[in-house]
Amino acid sequence: MQSITQLVTHQVRQGADFVRFIGLALRIQFTRLPPRDVLVTQLVDAGWGSLALLTVLTLFAGLNLSVQSYGSFERFGGQDLLGMFAGVGGVRELYPVMAAVVCGARIGANLAASLANMRISEQIEALEVMAVDPVHYLVAPRLWAVTLALPLLCGYADVIGLAASYAGAVWQLGLDPGSFISQVQDAVRLADIGTGLLKGLIMGWLVAVISCFHGYTVAKRDGAEGVGIATNLAIVHGAVMCIVVNLILSWLIYG
Amino acid sequence: MADPTSTPDDTPAVVLDNVSKSFGDHTVLDGVSLTIQRGSIAVMLGPSGTGKSVLLRCLVGLLQPDRGRVLVFGEDVAALDEKRAADRKRLFAIRRRFGMLFQDGALFDDMTVFDNVAFPMRLHTQLSEQAIHEKVSDRLARVGVAHAEQKFPSELSGGMRKRVAFARAIAIDPDIVLCDEPSSGLDPVMSATLDELILELHRTLGMTFIIISHDTAEARKVADTIGMLANGKLVTFGPAEQVFAENHPALEQFFTRATVGPIKVV
Ligand SMILES: Nc1ncnc2c1ncn2[C@@H]1O[C@H](COP(=O)(O)OP(=O)(O)O)[C@@H](O)[C@H]1O
Ligand SMILES: [Mg+2]
Repeated sequence: MQSITQLVTHQVRQGADFVRFIGLALRIQFTRLPPRDVLVTQLVDAGWGSLALLTVLTLFAGLNLSVQSYGSFERFGGQDLLGMFAGVGGVRELYPVMAAVVCGARIGANLAASLANMRISEQIEALEVMAVDPVHYLVAPRLWAVTLALPLLCGYADVIGLAASYAGAVWQLGLDPGSFISQVQDAVRLADIGTGLLKGLIMGWLVAVISCFHGYTVAKRDGAEGVGIATNLAIVHGAVMCIVVNLILSWLIYG
Repeated sequence: MADPTSTPDDTPAVVLDNVSKSFGDHTVLDGVSLTIQRGSIAVMLGPSGTGKSVLLRCLVGLLQPDRGRVLVFGEDVAALDEKRAADRKRLFAIRRRFGMLFQDGALFDDMTVFDNVAFPMRLHTQLSEQAIHEKVSDRLARVGVAHAEQKFPSELSGGMRKRVAFARAIAIDPDIVLCDEPSSGLDPVMSATLDELILELHRTLGMTFIIISHDTAEARKVADTIGMLANGKLVTFGPAEQVFAENHPALEQFFTRATVGPIKVV
């Protein structure tokens, strides 16, 4: 009984801390320009650093989207709908979520681990003693970097995924290239791509703020274990949030 | 220095007035009062875990004491609330007068040694990159790590990290330098070199030093003011020669490394 009450109060307190952190982060993010050098490093880390992983994943996802669904469409003679399916399913749902969940986990783990490590090794306090606001210097550029990088990664995933679907449909299944392309063109509107990017933007900011929260608020006395816990929480909470937010956004936009 | 916090020269650098700090039901500082004059070198001794680091943190507003006043050049740091914008500005202005060497260095591990030391200069001075380069090299040479300029902190030994952290603490010639156990982890020769550097900076730039130490030889060499914390209380504090003459039992135990005495080993 005691432990349940403790657990609940702990969760409530952490929730309140999180809300306060969001308020602080928003205020600093939008009232002052982030330090440029940190922003650039973080952008490279988040964006460029995720490319290899995302390329491999979307290549397989796009290829699979064609090859696996082919059987189902073939059963009722609807092979020609493959382009539409690969296009809509990929661009509207699969690629943005994949980019957000996978890159989000990678980026979020990095952010949480690095901030938590800075906390336990007193680097954050060192900044404060040098009259630097650590939220402005550390958190704001990370929020900007991930918020900018994730939509770009979503767009990149769209391109690679569609190319892979095309390759699968045309080279492996022998569909007509022209018809596949016109299928995709008919089915995927610019708005769908825009929606994917918007999802990336929103999920990017949320992934960043969740992982910065877990990393930044580690207590020094938790030591290396605290770094591990923060990293773990950043990945789990980030991934769950991405899936829930994607559902909500899809429902709002297409529902 | 044209600083808005400048005050008449006779204001003490630091005054603690009945400062208390607890974590939960653990009282770490219990009514500590002391005065450190400008341009002095104060060495605070005391066993591990008595709140020496907590005391330093209170001076720069990293921790708020539960009770008491913390006057830095006459301004009460403990009364400033970091959440209020105006207070925060005051606090930052006061912090700019400090340099702090953390117990474990606290170097930024995504920056080279050079950039670590240059960081406060780029932040708080108008120096050109050229001037910064010269000054950083000078600081690093003084602490004997000139050869490691382009290394990252993870590539250094503990003692080297500490010396780089000291170079960073004195980077912009602060008025007060706080050193949390500067000599622990250094070999005796390096430790003596650091002591001489402290004395030289004190002589040439008139910096005030507040040094936490376990090293009684260091205390004898550099201190003009000595204090000792034990069990949350300031057991003795005053001019070095007076404190040495008075020979308080706790200090005596410390200097003679006796296991029996007022300092309890628990
Ligand atoms: N932020 C904190 N939260 C809880 N306890 C703390 C905190 N900082 C220090 N303490 C406790 O205060 C005591 C004194 O710590 P410290 O000042 O680091 O000792 P030392 O004299 O060795 O520097 C220790 O028992 C430590 O556990
Ligand atoms: Mg300490």
